[in-house]
Amino acid sequence: MSRAVVGWTAAVAVWIAIATFPQWSREWESSRYATSVIRDILIFAIFAGSLDLLVGRAGLPSLGHAAFFGAGAYAAAIVGQRLATNELLVGLGAAALVAGLLAFVIGALAVRALGIFFLMLTLALAQMVYALAYQATELTGGSNGFAGVRRPSLFGIDLASAEALYLLVAVVFALVTLLLWRVTRSPYGRALTGIRENERRMRALGYDTRTLKLSVFVLAGALAGIAGALSAYAFRFVSPNDVALGTSVTGLVIVLVGGAGTLLGPLLGAAVVLFIERVLSSSIGFSQTVLGVVFILFVVFARQGLAGLIRRAAERVRT
Amino acid sequence: MGLRRDFGGIRALAGVDLHVAKGERRAVIGPNGAGKTTFFNVLTGELAATAGTVRLAGADITALRPWQRARRGLARMYQRNELFESLPAWENVALASGLREGTYRPFASPSRAERIAAQAGLARVGLEERADTPARALSHGERRQLEFAVALAQAPTVLLLDEPTAGMSPAETERIAALIASLDRSLTLLIVEHDMDVVFRLADRITVLHEGRMIAEGTPEEIRGDTQVHDVYLGKGIGA
Repeated sequence: MSRAVVGWTAAVAVWIAIATFPQWSREWESSRYATSVIRDILIFAIFAGSLDLLVGRAGLPSLGHAAFFGAGAYAAAIVGQRLATNELLVGLGAAALVAGLLAFVIGALAVRALGIFFLMLTLALAQMVYALAYQATELTGGSNGFAGVRRPSLFGIDLASAEALYLLVAVVFALVTLLLWRVTRSPYGRALTGIRENERRMRALGYDTRTLKLSVFVLAGALAGIAGALSAYAFRFVSPNDVALGTSVTGLVIVLVGGAGTLLGPLLGAAVVLFIERVLSSSIGFSQTVLGVVFILFVVFARQGLAGLIRRAAERVRT
Repeated sequence: MGLRRDFGGIRALAGVDLHVAKGERRAVIGPNGAGKTTFFNVLTGELAATAGTVRLAGADITALRPWQRARRGLARMYQRNELFESLPAWENVALASGLREGTYRPFASPSRAERIAAQAGLARVGLEERADTPARALSHGERRQLEFAVALAQAPTVLLLDEPTAGMSPAETERIAALIASLDRSLTLLIVEHDMDVVFRLADRITVLHEGRMIAEGTPEEIRGDTQVHDVYLGKGIGA
């Protein structure tokens, strides 16, 4: 069997195992809780995957990615309320559109700056979005958050149950991962890598790098918006926290722990980070410290993240 | 025309007038700090001209950005290698040639045709065996060869070569010089080079820069006989 066949088979098998988790874990005492944690891992894996398009592929360090996650969450919630619809495609479409438009505005400003200045601009502009979410009480519920988000339905099939929503998240995760796989292996994806490696040379080759960076910023923003919408459906609640710096940082930590520039990284990173934040935090009081230490260990000793460690281990087995 | 470039109070280029005919091989020589690389940077648009205009095939491109100039056929081989370090050699070339197919092809697969074309580009500079090696793992000489292959893959009409043989062994220098000599005459070449053997062998005409000014221009024979050029440059360079 070729490596590609092995890879695809493994990926499909893992996805099926994840997607059917609520069914095969039903007998377990904590099945429902574990299901909700895995659901959130998948949501954050989508979010981190979109961020990795910027950080890992194009080499654009954004500290404001939560703005698009939050914008998508609010968009799905508000559109559901105002249009009195729970149609999934309307909710996800609105989330991607609003987050993408916001990314266009923020990106148009940010892509003019390089390196640390790009980072600071994304941070500052995202903080403005946070302030907006906090103050537009009419629309967002302000500091109280937006409660009572309606769960979606698709073509008349109700996705309100925990299991149905879980499957929805698993399917969207698979679709987004396939999209990322396709895009990063295309000539467009190679051009993004070119920007990461040497933007100056890309310009000298005739690439309009600013527009190219803006395009990937919008794509990443729209995908983060979809993750935000799923989060709104999952929690039935959106708060300014979803737009806040903390969420942006969580995204970055997931990318770096999982392995920047890899497809598997966001899922692995999200699993580690959410395990520490959700599961470990209920049994030990210093889980945030654990997360910090894990993060430092990866940054210092394993720059390629978990995906890199796995790849290296696999290469050792093969030889 | 009349190109000038100031850095703060320092005039790096003080009115350089240069006209290169289509298909010409023009060498630009001069001692270190004469403004040769600044001159190239102003031509490609990486530095804005403080005064003067840049024309390409008759059209004023002074206001165009570097990527726009590149799309009009202006390519450059950098003095310090500017490569895509983590990408294999063939993908460095594919990035240069792939632009003609369009930038926004997010759903296209990397095609066999593009791999074959890149392989041909590498073969042209003698790197066909190293196609899958990341740029950063290549030797200095190989990196210069790859730099050259990338510039050629742009299919330019005007190619700026900034010290193409710098730091190369005699054998590598010979290979690159032979390659430059073999390039089609539809391509216009501007060459900055310190190796006078290479310059006198390749150039149709030579321009001498000194402290941001043109002090001489002519055929290799004329430049060889120019006493002022000997004083500022050649005398030290080849000890004639």
